[in-house]
Amino acid sequence: MSKAKKSHSIAFRLIAAVLAVELLSALLIGFLSFGYERHIHFLAFDAILHGRVASVLGAVQDAEDTQDNVILDKTDLHFPKDDIYEVYDAQGRVLGRSSNWHGMSAPLPEPPHHHDRYFHLVLSGQQYRVLVCRGSRTVDAGAPGGGKLRHITVLYGAPTARLWHAIRAAVEFYAAGSILLLAVTGPLIAWLLHRGLLPLRQLAALASRVSADSWQFSPPASARTTPELAPLTTAMESVLQRLERSFTQQRTFVSDAAHELKTAVAVVKSSLQLLGLRQRTPHEYQAGLDRSLADIERLEELVAKMLTLARVEDSSATSGPPAVADLAECVHQGVAQLASVAELRRVRMETEVPAGSRAAVPLTQEDCSMLISNLLLNAIQHSPPESSVHLRVTLGQQPGTVEFRVEDHGDGIDPAALPHVLERFYRGDPSRARSTGGAGLGLAICKAVVERAGGSIVLASRPAQDTTVTVSLPLVPHPGAEASPASAWLRTG
Amino acid sequence: MRVLLVEDEVRLADNLADALRDGPGFAVDCALDGLDGDRMAGNRCYDLIILDLMLPRLDGHGLLQRLRAREDATPVLILTAKEGKETIVELLNAGADDYLAKPFDLGELIARAKALIRRGKGAAHPLFAVPGLEVNTLEQTVRRNGVLVDLSPTEYRILEYLIHHPRRIFSKRELLEHLYDYNWEHHSNVIEAHVSNLRKKLDAVLPGAEPVIETLRGRGYRMAIGPEQAVVQS
Repeated sequence: MSKAKKSHSIAFRLIAAVLAVELLSALLIGFLSFGYERHIHFLAFDAILHGRVASVLGAVQDAEDTQDNVILDKTDLHFPKDDIYEVYDAQGRVLGRSSNWHGMSAPLPEPPHHHDRYFHLVLSGQQYRVLVCRGSRTVDAGAPGGGKLRHITVLYGAPTARLWHAIRAAVEFYAAGSILLLAVTGPLIAWLLHRGLLPLRQLAALASRVSADSWQFSPPASARTTPELAPLTTAMESVLQRLERSFTQQRTFVSDAAHELKTAVAVVKSSLQLLGLRQRTPHEYQAGLDRSLADIERLEELVAKMLTLARVEDSSATSGPPAVADLAECVHQGVAQLASVAELRRVRMETEVPAGSRAAVPLTQEDCSMLISNLLLNAIQHSPPESSVHLRVTLGQQPGTVEFRVEDHGDGIDPAALPHVLERFYRGDPSRARSTGGAGLGLAICKAVVERAGGSIVLASRPAQDTTVTVSLPLVPHPGAEASPASAWLRTG
Repeated sequence: MRVLLVEDEVRLADNLADALRDGPGFAVDCALDGLDGDRMAGNRCYDLIILDLMLPRLDGHGLLQRLRAREDATPVLILTAKEGKETIVELLNAGADDYLAKPFDLGELIARAKALIRRGKGAAHPLFAVPGLEVNTLEQTVRRNGVLVDLSPTEYRILEYLIHHPRRIFSKRELLEHLYDYNWEHHSNVIEAHVSNLRKKLDAVLPGAEPVIETLRGRGYRMAIGPEQAVVQS
């Protein structure tokens, strides 16, 4: 038992639908033609009956007797041999009848005045349609007083077998025509559909060749120009492009990460092997060990950063209560953390946070501190001695957001490198990277943290003047305040 | 022998330079990016170039292409952290002579570097022998008629360089360029003293025999013993 109902191809469904419609119309035509033919044939049949009745009436003549009776003169009456007729007068006396007719078994119902009456009867196995007509005859029309009016009734019937035969023949003709049409259109539609669906099949064939290793997808021109397929083609193209881009990014990341890790390991390994290359003094060994340890610490830092990036970028790992961090508190922590580094480099850190502000952002306290300290560290590392790094927190331009800017007065970033600075492992400016010793992950982590919180990060730089990083984050209700974010911001306490 | 090391990871470059100076006694110059490396390689005074692949400004592949495009035949040893056979095939086809995947063994790197230099100079074996003189480049030992001669590191390096091409004349400048790193000019006065000491030590073993090293005034030095047909090309 298959769980899914077997679904048929579009072509099959269309052909079935067209044939069903055709069959339905064939039935309708058969039904209508039957009614029409029956109507037409009966009209003609009744007209003939009327004519025959008129002929019979014409054959009723004056009997030339004293009672002024009428008689039926059959000499001029020539009717088909199966037909029956009978004439009788008002008293019910039969004036004459056909030789194959012996009268009704039951008395005839009185025909209504001035109205013809039809009825059916079966005579020796044949269906008859019988017309009963009232007529009158004037006897001695030339006599004074206008003669006498004799009422007579004529009954005329003819078998309907031929009539029905004709009707059946006509209906059969229409039915046969319809079936022939069905038989011809079935294969024709199948062929036309096969041709008409060609662009779809071509598109499917090309799409099926796309894989993670081969993203080449050039849709056929027919798919592009077909109105029904054009949106699908465009959608497929853009989906594939996005997929390819993310695959390439992922691959680049893995390759870059491998390069960084292998290089870091190569440093450690070569440091230790260099030490063992020949006999050395205890002092040299000590210095070598110190260098090796420093190398391992850098490797450790690299691994930690890569893991941090992986954790932050893994959007599926959102569990537990929604994160909330107090921005002012994070700024405080970040500054405290970097105070010694700044002092070592003789760089002043100036922060500007509105007094008593209680801005909260949707980040964990840990991530928020890391974001701020990473940005500050980056700024400090690119600041010349005796300069200052400025951190300013303000309400964002968008309502419901908070913005903070970190500004340094260093050598700035090359405009060509600016768009790539936030990319992972980007070390476009080697002198910058070397002087800081970073693997190019710090800003990538910041970007991932900000984007995860639904904010944005923008870098602006004037070479040889300054660099400003602007981070915009959405405000959330402060854990200690019950009012809305905006009023929480304004509240002082 | 003088080696150019192009590597952007400072610590790795330091370690490799130290190892190459310490072990085989090469002179080593370091370049931290591809363009610097390319500029330095343009001096054509290197016996080997050790090249990292992922470099700022100009990557290793690009540097290699530039090198080979100007018909620089210096042996190139690639250091790579990239995965995949395609990259390696591509590099070898682009004119690289050998490659080492990171993280590598320092001993292996030194051995490969020596082999590449040897091959670059047309020698197949690390043991060089001409009548009456034997130089073992692995042990860095020299024997004159079977007698071990004790040489200073510089003297050994001069002899090792000369014995790759017996009877070929090397100018003083060429010797300086290949035996010292970028500040070779500081050593220009002492090389004569080193050559003189080397000659004395070699000749002292066999007094009265033909001198091993000749000084051709104004032209340079050459190893006087060895096969008769002088090798002209470098």
